[in-house]
Amino acid sequence: MHNFVPLFKGEMQRLVKYKILQIAFVVTLLWLAVLFLIGEDSVAQFVPLFIFMDATMMTVMLVGANLFYEKQENTLKTLLITPSGFAALMTSKFLSAIVLAFQSTAVISLFAYFLFDVTVSFGWLFMGVALITFMHTALGFLFTVFVKDFTGLLALLILYMFVFAFPSIFYALGVFGESAEVWLMFSPTHASLLLIEFAYGLDVRTVLLPIGAVYLLVVGVALIKWVVVPKYVETAVKE
Amino acid sequence: MAKTPVFDVKDLRFTYRKSSIEAVAGISFKVHEGEIFGLLGPSGAGKSTTQKILTRLYTDYQGEIMYRGQNLKSYDNQYYEDIGVGFELPVHFSKLTGMENMKFFSELYRSRTEIEPLMERVGLLEDKDRLVGEYSKGMKMRLNFVRALLNNPNVLFLDEVTNGLDPKNARIIKDAIREFKNNGGTVFLSTHLMNDVEELCDRVAFIRRGEIVEIATPRELKIKHGQREVNVEYFDNGKTKQATFALDGIGENEQFMALLKDKTIETIHSGETSMDEIFIAVTGEEVDA
Ligand SMILES: Nc1ncnc2c1ncn2[C@@H]1O[C@H](COP(=O)(O)OP(=O)(O)OP(=O)(O)O)[C@@H](O)[C@H]1O
Ligand SMILES: [Mg+2]
Repeated sequence: MHNFVPLFKGEMQRLVKYKILQIAFVVTLLWLAVLFLIGEDSVAQFVPLFIFMDATMMTVMLVGANLFYEKQENTLKTLLITPSGFAALMTSKFLSAIVLAFQSTAVISLFAYFLFDVTVSFGWLFMGVALITFMHTALGFLFTVFVKDFTGLLALLILYMFVFAFPSIFYALGVFGESAEVWLMFSPTHASLLLIEFAYGLDVRTVLLPIGAVYLLVVGVALIKWVVVPKYVETAVKE
Repeated sequence: MAKTPVFDVKDLRFTYRKSSIEAVAGISFKVHEGEIFGLLGPSGAGKSTTQKILTRLYTDYQGEIMYRGQNLKSYDNQYYEDIGVGFELPVHFSKLTGMENMKFFSELYRSRTEIEPLMERVGLLEDKDRLVGEYSKGMKMRLNFVRALLNNPNVLFLDEVTNGLDPKNARIIKDAIREFKNNGGTVFLSTHLMNDVEELCDRVAFIRRGEIVEIATPRELKIKHGQREVNVEYFDNGKTKQATFALDGIGENEQFMALLKDKTIETIHSGETSMDEIFIAVTGEEVDA
């Protein structure tokens, strides 16, 4: 992990300079605005959903933005010829994505807690969000490696959200029966939502949680090992 | 006993994935301590690829590369403390200032040199607090050069350093390269510009389609491929005409003497074959403008 500290500092500096942090914050404010519009009665239902959207979709988009700049400006290449370890380079990127997600999670959950009395286990919430962001950062890398521009990334992201939303919707409509939810754990979005709902004390079958958590971790690690590391370096070095 | 070379490259080969031809097709050369070694060749010859292999951005090559007597593959990332790399294209964060960029990269090295004097050296001090996105191409290339020197390296890799620079700034960079060498540094310079080679390099390898055609000193090349001759332009029958004579024994050349006596001479130049012509002779290809 040689050079982790300066690399992470650099990532954070760039989140600000490239206005990614600011954009993330504005999006958080929008979630808050929507919570206000929804009104006290249903806020408790929507808070987990908004945090879920932020930790999944926003993560992929912000990671994508970060990586597209990097591609465009050829900066990874010049980092690869420093004594920094590749692990440190990667960790700094993943950690900065988690910082972004924590920022909005903290604002939304505290806001809901103090203004609408929506209680939550902050410990489980942040652990869950860290895990979800980890996996979706890896997904952001995966998407970015395979598309040419930001539009392509958005298309893939929407496709991903839709494809994995369907099983959840059918399940909610009662098409599959309760025992089928185990299989839904293999939908990263379903597993993600469940972790957050659990932190919010919603009615979740707790046996499923470890399955979902381990699954997100395994998918994240697998993506890093087989896609992110080899493909990402290859594309970075090319031009 | 001869000193261990900085690089000893033997039969280096590299093929890009999805490509059927070797971008580097079995090249061998040595780079000695304290010299400026030039890799010269037309576009697509494999210069940047070779630099990327020597800087370990590509590791799946064939052949052997010894760095200071040890296999390059046996070095860990500390290798990068020892070398400085100037890329062919700008490699900076456009939304950070020049200085912010340099500070960030500098912190990644154990050995560091002061940034401001370097910026001053290449004429960027006044613009150090401007965003790199607002820099001109030439300014970005000069920043690339500063970037390469941040860790006070022993070996400097430069890929088309003078690319996009006006003559004044090209001069500044060339002087800085020579100064680096005079302080004991070793330079590996890739370029398609004869001018750079002629002014800077102690030895030059001509590369073409992934193969080294010839390695020599610029002087040796001139002697080998050069012709010493005199070009005369003279006025004759209302037209400007041109004639060329061998420089050797010109005093006894009657035709030449007659020309001097009888015609109105417009220009007279003694010409050594230019490096451009040698380039064409050796590589069989035109030099890019
Ligand atoms: N990423 C890549 N994938 C496939 N082929 C490549 C790639 N990069 C370069 N090549 C090919 O490898 C060969 C050598 O390219 P290289 O960039 O090393 O040339 P060069 O001598 O640096 O040229 P230039 O003067 O234009 O910079 C060329 O035929 C080029 O098309
Ligand atoms: Mg090149």
